[in-house]
Amino acid sequence: MKFKNYDYYLIILTTLILFMIGAVSLYGITYYNYLAVDSGWTKTAQYSQYIDEMNSYLYPFLVLLLISLGLCIPKRLFEQDILLKFSAIILGITVILTIFSNIETGLGFILVLMTVVQSIVLIMTIRKSKSIRFEKEGYIVRMGSSLLHLGLVLIILNFVSLRDSPYHILIFWFGVIFITIGNVFSFYPEKTASLLPDMG
Amino acid sequence: MGYTEYLQARDFLGMIGQPVITYILIISLFQGIFSILYLMRKDSKYFDYLIKCLYISTGLYFIGFFILAWFHIQIYNTVLIEYPAALRQMIPVENSRIAAPLWIESEKLYFWAMCASAFALTVKKRKDILAFIGIILSIFSLAVYFFSNPFKDPLPIVNSEITRWYAALSSGDMGIFQLAGTLYGRVTYYYNSTYMWTHPPMLFIAYASLIITFAACVYMLFEKDKLYDEIAYRYAKIGYILLTTGMLIGYPWAIEAWKDSAWWWDPKISGSIMMWVLYSAYLHSRIYVSKGKMWRTTAYLGILCFASLVFTYLLTYIVPGIHSVVQP
Repeated sequence: MKFKNYDYYLIILTTLILFMIGAVSLYGITYYNYLAVDSGWTKTAQYSQYIDEMNSYLYPFLVLLLISLGLCIPKRLFEQDILLKFSAIILGITVILTIFSNIETGLGFILVLMTVVQSIVLIMTIRKSKSIRFEKEGYIVRMGSSLLHLGLVLIILNFVSLRDSPYHILIFWFGVIFITIGNVFSFYPEKTASLLPDMG
Repeated sequence: MGYTEYLQARDFLGMIGQPVITYILIISLFQGIFSILYLMRKDSKYFDYLIKCLYISTGLYFIGFFILAWFHIQIYNTVLIEYPAALRQMIPVENSRIAAPLWIESEKLYFWAMCASAFALTVKKRKDILAFIGIILSIFSLAVYFFSNPFKDPLPIVNSEITRWYAALSSGDMGIFQLAGTLYGRVTYYYNSTYMWTHPPMLFIAYASLIITFAACVYMLFEKDKLYDEIAYRYAKIGYILLTTGMLIGYPWAIEAWKDSAWWWDPKISGSIMMWVLYSAYLHSRIYVSKGKMWRTTAYLGILCFASLVFTYLLTYIVPGIHSVVQP
């Protein structure tokens, strides 16, 4: 089953979710300013309540962003109808985990899953597999897109679930390198290809 | 070498730097006038004057920057903080020199304005966009001169720290232990940290590039020409790469330097997240810029992104927080 303008609406959805995360951040600025009337408030329990509250506003949009990225990522592996069912199942499990545990567990689940899926996509892209399909042509662009998505998912996973891990900073730097190289590859494929002639 | 030499260097900076920034202001005002005249009359002669003014003001900005760099080298060479013997048991060094980055305190806006002027010269083939940017740069120069002049009372916080250090040293004040401890933290985690030498300049160069994206988006809205989207995108790419990586590399430093402080969801960090997601939204929306009225959404988003950028920059001065100069 093929949906008309599927990619277009996916981009609209992603744009709206990003916009909403921006709105949450703006609310955070206003709320912080309101709480900061008392100069010592960050040394009280009110500060950790503020952090928890802000996280609770952000996390649902992060789940939606990951679902939206998820609809984008395995698109290269599955047909559209399978992909939508796959995403609906992931969202369902995330919601169930959130209800029976907490949102961090739900978010952690979806992040681990997306990290695995995107790692597979990256490996298949590197190996020039015919099984994955991309919107854009060109090996460098595909590599850039895969690295960027993996880096982003890895950074969010690291912030949400691995803050106390001894590998937190190491994973963080991997994420930064993936995102930076992914951005450069995606934005400047021709220039990158000219520097790496064998990969073009 | 010591405090006297430092003070002489500081006086010399003001003496030669103040005329430079005054000339920048005058030339930039002419630049603004020629920009307005060109936009109103579309006469190439005004554009030629505008280009000349832009070259001169950019050159002057760079001359001023080299003078500031010279002053920073003088701070490094003249000021030596020798820690008291009792403190040396707690810290790993015997003394410190201040390698102050070139984009702190009142130098921030100057650096941004200098980068913006340099970027503006790269769009000189697009007369309309450059004329619009010429007006923005004039406003920038006015703001630098009146609100963030690096040659009038240079580096006031660094200066007060150095002055207090030498005053305590000469008076034999016991408060020198506390002062030395504070200075050690400032030098290690702020002035001499790799983070301060990389994170802010990456962001300011990104901001400079994104001014052109903003100007092109404004034109796209009025002229309804796809060419402006291409210009906006060309500079958004540079800006977005620097913005993303520049923001991220601040994180390991924040963990180390602010480990006992409240910085998670700090207003400046929230503002930076807001700015980044809006630019991400802009880049997503422009994939379908040719579809229906999507060009309009993209243009509005580009303008909103720049508003969020300016707002995020100003947060340091208007909202309390760990990044801020204002306190409740």
